[in-house]
Amino acid sequence: MARNKFDVDEELESPFRLVHFKRLLGYVKPYKKLMALTVFLMLVASLANLFGPYLIKQAIDEEIPSGNTGGIVMLAGIYLIAVIVTGVCMKYRIRIMARIGQSVIQHIRKDLFIHLQKLSFSYYDNRPHGKILARVVNYVNSLSDLLSNGIINLITDLFSIAVIVGFMLYIDVQLTILTLAGLPVLATIVFILKNAQRRGWQRLSNKQSNLNAYIHESINGIKITQSFAREEENKKIFRDVSNSYRSSWMKAVRIQFLLSPSIDNISVLTVSFIYVVGIASIGDGGVTAGALIAFTGYIWMFWAPLANVGNFYNAIITAMAYLERIFETIDEKPTVKSDPHAAMLPPIKGKVEFDQVVFGYETEERILDHINFKVNPGDTIALVGATGSGKTTIVNLISRFYDVKSGQIKIDGTDIKTVTLASLREQMGIMLQDPFIFSGTIMDNIRYGRLGATDEEVIRAARAVQAHDFIDGLEDGYFTEVNERGTRLSSGQRQLISFARALLADPKILILDEATSSIDTETELALQKGLETLLSGRTSFIIAHRLSTIKNATKILYIENGRIIEKGTHNELMEKKGQYWKLSNYQGHSIEAG
Amino acid sequence: MQSLRWIWGYIKRFRGKYAIGLLLALFVSGLNMLNPYFAGQIVDEVIFGQRESLLWPLLGLMIGVMFFKSVIRYGYQLMFESLSQSVIFKIREQLYDRLHQLDFRFYDKTKTGDIMARMTGDMEAVRHFTAWSIYMIFENSTILLFAIAFMFYIHPPLTITLLTVTPIIGFVAYKLSYDVKPTFSAIRGQFARLNSVVQENISGNRVVKAFAKEKYEIDKFSVENEAFKEKNLQSAKVWEKYLPVLDSLAGLLMVLMILVGGIMVIGGSLSFGEFVIFNSLIWALNNPMRMAGWLINDVQRFIASAEKIEDLLNTEPTITSPVQSKKGSDSTGVVEFSHVSFSYGEEEEVLKDISFRANPGQTIALIGPSGAGKTTVINLLCRYYDADSGEVRVGKQNIKKWDIRSLRENTAVVMQDTFLFSDTIEGNIAYGVPDASLESIQAAAKMAEAHDFITQLPEGYDTIVGERGVGLSGGQKQRIALARALLKNPSILILDDTTSSVDMETELRIQKTLKTFSQGKTCFMIAHRISSVKEADLILVMKKGRIIERGTHERLLANKGYYYTLCKNQYGNVDEKHHRKEVIGYGTQ
Repeated sequence: MARNKFDVDEELESPFRLVHFKRLLGYVKPYKKLMALTVFLMLVASLANLFGPYLIKQAIDEEIPSGNTGGIVMLAGIYLIAVIVTGVCMKYRIRIMARIGQSVIQHIRKDLFIHLQKLSFSYYDNRPHGKILARVVNYVNSLSDLLSNGIINLITDLFSIAVIVGFMLYIDVQLTILTLAGLPVLATIVFILKNAQRRGWQRLSNKQSNLNAYIHESINGIKITQSFAREEENKKIFRDVSNSYRSSWMKAVRIQFLLSPSIDNISVLTVSFIYVVGIASIGDGGVTAGALIAFTGYIWMFWAPLANVGNFYNAIITAMAYLERIFETIDEKPTVKSDPHAAMLPPIKGKVEFDQVVFGYETEERILDHINFKVNPGDTIALVGATGSGKTTIVNLISRFYDVKSGQIKIDGTDIKTVTLASLREQMGIMLQDPFIFSGTIMDNIRYGRLGATDEEVIRAARAVQAHDFIDGLEDGYFTEVNERGTRLSSGQRQLISFARALLADPKILILDEATSSIDTETELALQKGLETLLSGRTSFIIAHRLSTIKNATKILYIENGRIIEKGTHNELMEKKGQYWKLSNYQGHSIEAG
Repeated sequence: MQSLRWIWGYIKRFRGKYAIGLLLALFVSGLNMLNPYFAGQIVDEVIFGQRESLLWPLLGLMIGVMFFKSVIRYGYQLMFESLSQSVIFKIREQLYDRLHQLDFRFYDKTKTGDIMARMTGDMEAVRHFTAWSIYMIFENSTILLFAIAFMFYIHPPLTITLLTVTPIIGFVAYKLSYDVKPTFSAIRGQFARLNSVVQENISGNRVVKAFAKEKYEIDKFSVENEAFKEKNLQSAKVWEKYLPVLDSLAGLLMVLMILVGGIMVIGGSLSFGEFVIFNSLIWALNNPMRMAGWLINDVQRFIASAEKIEDLLNTEPTITSPVQSKKGSDSTGVVEFSHVSFSYGEEEEVLKDISFRANPGQTIALIGPSGAGKTTVINLLCRYYDADSGEVRVGKQNIKKWDIRSLRENTAVVMQDTFLFSDTIEGNIAYGVPDASLESIQAAAKMAEAHDFITQLPEGYDTIVGERGVGLSGGQKQRIALARALLKNPSILILDDTTSSVDMETELRIQKTLKTFSQGKTCFMIAHRISSVKEADLILVMKKGRIIERGTHERLLANKGYYYTLCKNQYGNVDEKHHRKEVIGYGTQ
């Protein structure tokens, strides 16, 4: 799939399916007893409500004309009880529905989040993060009303429709059938509106997603925007994105709002029809006048819950646009996942083997072309070569961030595809090129490498990578709060923190992807002195441009265009006078410096 | 109240349309009375009165009224939607503007997730209020007032009796709004936290996977997710306490009417007909009171969100352009720091008494350990922060007198932390000059040594890179960022450790190109490698916020100070000529 950006709508891969709704009901299912209880409460409440008109009628017809004050007091008393019963029912209904609605939302959101953790790098690489965020947070929230009150109302409305139809049938079967003739008309209209409405809400959810993505990216890139004085241009784009959100909103509601007037007009037409037929029928002696009056009264009552059902239907269509996105994400297949029969990777000794490894991000692309090498436990492997030659890709494959196209990667003789991802990655310490800092204290950020580590262990790791001094110099030392963009820390400092994080994991395989590129020479030198101790007992992969870092490696792999073109120790490669030799000449005496 | 006044500021400009919409809504409520009347006429006149000729006209009226009504209703519903969309469009735009005015200090302490929550969830609450609540409140209160007036006209004593319930309703409603407000604020706060946790997880997904910390992340998320549910339930707890009471109080009106009204009729102080009228009007008293609780909820929900939005809108940037601001001139390239000191917060000063001067055509290099304050110098030079004391002058003018936009248009920074946008490579390079031609974009890319690898990509310059430039290697991202800065062709070029991830070979080529490019420009360069800085006209060696040594490469070597040691560390010896020869020798091959 092509990479998505903020102003590109995401194609919808799933058509309208009732399955989504069924799946949603699956979330509600555990609460069906509570649901039933609420429906019962609603019925009690409406029964109590039905008492009202009867009591009034009683007062007007009987008690008042007869001047019976006691009767009036009694009626008022009964009414009061009905009012209280209604109130109590309402109280529990609010309580139960809030619980069900919120629990279901919590559950869906959790499923979504858990699934996101399983998705591979490529999922995150291919779409703006703001769009993923919107799904987890905003889309799920928009289901709340449908879940809490929508379903209950639907049940009670359907129930009242059934009761009313029962009454109508009781009065006159023929008129009832005529009344119900309005339904196919309504169904046709609903059917015609459905597709347009659905498209409308899908478009809207896309535009909403785009808007979120643009806002999200604007915030993350704000420093670049300000430094390039590009605010005005961004505002223009934002206005466009915001505008297309607005207009798709209007388009969506324009269709949605058609439903309720349709119901109103059909209802009035049906009633008129019944009057015509009914009055003619009175003349023929078919129905009595009283029956006709009662009947028309019921028709009005019949259409009110039907309009509610229509609104519920609207809500479903709206929710569907979000639901399908949510379920689409939950159903997204992780490109890299543990085999169902995967075993735990036993404690790593440190042997790593690449056997005819071919890899590309896209199908036709070849980033790595038949890579072969073997590494013994405790070895230090340096990867050198021009930017974009495939060094990072090689280390990404060891951690199985992506799967190879063909060939095998083995650790201690086991193909990494046959073991669980967690057991593989937990034993590796990886320092990524782009050091990410979480919001929280520096202590927590380093501890991310091994959550059980004590403060002392964290500090020891920080000392080992020469980060202690600068951390100690901050306002609150290790407890200084940093935010997710890691502002206030220089790149070098962030690198040191993520280095410490990787080291704290005490990994058997350590991967350092340009661990020291932004670190000043002084710190780097100090770091290098300790590096040997840090690396001992681990198999390490080091990507670096500065040869001083890699001179002592057990083996150096020179990568060019996805192939290993030179392989050997520093001295071997220097003798060879090939690419590596050329490279080291560039750096002059830095090699001797060591 | 404050929030209502705030939203009025936006609604005001549409008040004419709002008024029309509200009147139409009222008109429709009036029309609603007609059809039951016609239906009654059909019963009375046609069925019982045997005047069958009236049937068709009455039916025609009924159908006509309904049609007329639904058209108007459809119209004003769309009108309210459109108005509310216009209102939030405006607010969103202002928020977005504000986000672009706010300075680095704000972003240093604000989480992305929080801002996202303002721009999405809170905005939705405002939309709901402006599209729906306002009109509901208006409709209900009008109906209520009409009903009271009409009832009062018919029979004051009974009306007053019925209204005795209102103080209680008022009290309960007040209690509700008082108690429910904090729960909505709590929901909004929690929503922002939830947003932050998710957004950070998404942004940091690589680290999460690298350390196999999925479970930990799920636990972290579950805490916030659970809390979000809890805050919602706490709010529901308040509703469940008051809403049924309000509903019952509204029901109590019926009880009172039967009781007092009935007794009055029996006692003769109320006519039977009046009683029937009261009975038919009581819903108009009843319903609004029943709705009151829900509407109060809506209003409080709105206020909780509006306050958050207002807070953001009212956050003043500390760095602003003066009214009479200066634009660029010929001498723009002259940069002067005079006794500048600065600290980010309460802590120790990050810069202490920094002074130097740079002229157009000069290259100034900053070198020194991490945290020495090198990047801070740049931050002050571009006025991302203001100095605590001392003066930064650009173009012989205090930087505070500059129009910020114009200042930044004259400078181009390649930041340490490479951020690319999810856009094509072409779009990314043209970020500072949106209307740049493809030729100039390619020229910039060539200077940054990026052209070759870009053209090797399957889609070349049209390749979309993800946020943070995923899909490109660190060195490739840095070169795109460099091309982005070069395209601006600024008077002052600032390179903050720009080539740290670029391989040596490419770096050397870039340095050569930059030399030509920066002729006549002032160039600042932060680097760790002596090889990058030694050609500079002035090298500032920084440590712990101070310039500890300054001068050219040769002078600094002769000085035998910190720089000398640094150089020795990097080269082993400082036999300069030998090294230079090798480099040049290869470069010409």
